[in-house]
Amino acid sequence: MFKSKTMTAAFAAATLTMALAGTTALAETPSWCGPKQASLALLDGFGGNSWRLVTTASGAEEAAKCPSITQYEYADGQGDTQKAISDINSMAARGINAMVVFGDAGPAVLPALTNAHRAGTIVVPYRVNVGGVEGENYAKFIGSSFVEDGVSWGNWIKEVLPEGGNVLFLSGPAGNSQGTDELAGMKQVLDDKYVFINPEPFAVTNWDPSLTQQVLSAEIAKNDKIDVIVSDFGPSLVGALPVFAEFKRSIPALATSDGNSLSCFWAQNHAANPDFKLFTVATGNDNVRLAVQWAVALATDGTPPADNIFKAPVYEDSVSGTPNPVTCREDLPGSIYLSAEMADDAQAKAVGQ
Amino acid sequence: MAQYDQSADPTGFALNLVSLKPARGFVTVVVSTIALIVVCAFFAPSAISAGGLAGSLPFAAIIAIVGLGQMLVVQQGGFDLSLAGGVSLAVVITTHMSGGSDAHLLGAIALAFACAILAGVANGILVGVLRLNAIVATIGMNALMYGAVFAVSGGVPRITTPMMAQIAGGKIMGIPNSILFVIAILVLVSFVLKKTVVGRRFEAIGANPAAAHAAGLRVRLYQAMAYVFAQLHYCMAGILISGITREPTAFQGDSLLLPSVAVVVLAGTSLLGGRGFPVSTVIAAFFLNQLSQFALAVGVPFSAQTIIQALALVFGIGVYSLRWKQAATKTAQKSKTEETDNV
Repeated sequence: MFKSKTMTAAFAAATLTMALAGTTALAETPSWCGPKQASLALLDGFGGNSWRLVTTASGAEEAAKCPSITQYEYADGQGDTQKAISDINSMAARGINAMVVFGDAGPAVLPALTNAHRAGTIVVPYRVNVGGVEGENYAKFIGSSFVEDGVSWGNWIKEVLPEGGNVLFLSGPAGNSQGTDELAGMKQVLDDKYVFINPEPFAVTNWDPSLTQQVLSAEIAKNDKIDVIVSDFGPSLVGALPVFAEFKRSIPALATSDGNSLSCFWAQNHAANPDFKLFTVATGNDNVRLAVQWAVALATDGTPPADNIFKAPVYEDSVSGTPNPVTCREDLPGSIYLSAEMADDAQAKAVGQ
Repeated sequence: MAQYDQSADPTGFALNLVSLKPARGFVTVVVSTIALIVVCAFFAPSAISAGGLAGSLPFAAIIAIVGLGQMLVVQQGGFDLSLAGGVSLAVVITTHMSGGSDAHLLGAIALAFACAILAGVANGILVGVLRLNAIVATIGMNALMYGAVFAVSGGVPRITTPMMAQIAGGKIMGIPNSILFVIAILVLVSFVLKKTVVGRRFEAIGANPAAAHAAGLRVRLYQAMAYVFAQLHYCMAGILISGITREPTAFQGDSLLLPSVAVVVLAGTSLLGGRGFPVSTVIAAFFLNQLSQFALAVGVPFSAQTIIQALALVFGIGVYSLRWKQAATKTAQKSKTEETDNV
């Protein structure tokens, strides 16, 4: 369920999307929005965390750019596979023209997606691999490159630790494919000088802040030398990092995904922790925008975007300050993501704060 | 003879004398815990280092508090599955209602306790008075409480207030405050349970509701109150979690249900009801938490961590089961006559 929260995401399309959203006025119709009128539904497998709320609002914002979309629907599977399946079936039965689906349950929702596809609905699953074949089970799958995230982290680690060092990698539930992909990305870049001190392939945290805290304190007690921590859900570390103070050690360098609470934590603590450098990739709320663009383009006869996989752009680097220095917005809730395209105050509204 | 007469006395002095003899659960738990500490010292010294303990003890404290709450219900032969909802609701009320501001913290905590009492009373009425099956009633209550969790939080985590972080996460003379909370609660629960009339009646009712009823005790009231006090424990644990974990999720109680039952069983409280063992329950919480720390510190794969914990639990429960079997054959004859007496 929390998979979503983690990073992932983001897009090569970022540049394209930014260009579309930023430089062209909203009144101008984007090229992916065709002339044919259509209805669109966004189907979530689980909608109950701040990452999902921002993502859902981003999807709605993207769809609103296209005047040919006459009807927009949303359904939340609430983490219940049966409900997610029945949501898909009911949207198809209601004659919705296009659906963008976050298939949290993975291949379990594939039969429902296939039925909808055969019934003539444009089906665009994104982010979570649901199995199946493009054109046969659904129209288009918009994945997200976790390997790319691993490569970005690996390159930064090489910059800040050219001599090598000890790496502690934390990811979500045991065996999640996101974590293994990220590890593969890092291994492409990092050689033997960089030792992974966590159990293979990563320390399991379930992306739960409380478990993260326990795992991290055990690892700190065990390892006298941790040079860099890599985590694919940065904000979950905020509660755990103060543990270093218990051991009278500086918080080490951190390569992770962004979140306002994490950036603010860095702002408050980097002075007291000389080794605390922070590098983040965008947490990927905008993955949904690329999926919406594809679904709308196919349903309204518009021009599909050039990208079909979302690569998370690098977001913050406390060392080089490029592309952004670490940005903390004290005035906004901790649970928003400044890397997302959606306006900051609109995100604050989306998470209800 | 004199002893028997005294044990019939509701103030239960004789029972107190009996409880001075260490209970089997207490011995088992203490021996296992010492053994675990020795194993840690050899194979995973970091798990018992000062820093390692400072990081892990607050979580043992949480398990201890929910364990004590669950123990009260188990003593009445019940089972409280609304623990997850109770803890999660307290977490989201403390973090969301205070809105990150210390000024509103006290009000939020008061509201959390009010909700806990409300839920406890509802559970108590359903199980104690209306005689619903405890598992069914508390599952329903759990769903209701999760409804409230979503209503309050929308499922979104929020950062706790600085004062709460200080209260729950801080230290006094090097001891985590959460440990001090556990000690205070443990002293209170033990005193009420073992040294007051109310507590003695509570245990007597748990051991044999029919006999207690015949003796004129208000069985239903006591059984219902077990759920109220259990909810107060869960609420307390939830409030502490909101300070210990800086940004707790809205579902923080989920992972506590199983450990709460495990520590009650490890401490030797019978699932059929009766005597409670508060001190053993708290030690069992430390044991269980230390076991996870051990598995983490040894650095075995996640699958092995889970297996180690499961084996330890099976071992713990197995100790009781085996003795029960022996005891059952020896006393089969005796218990038969006792049953007749009770009727």
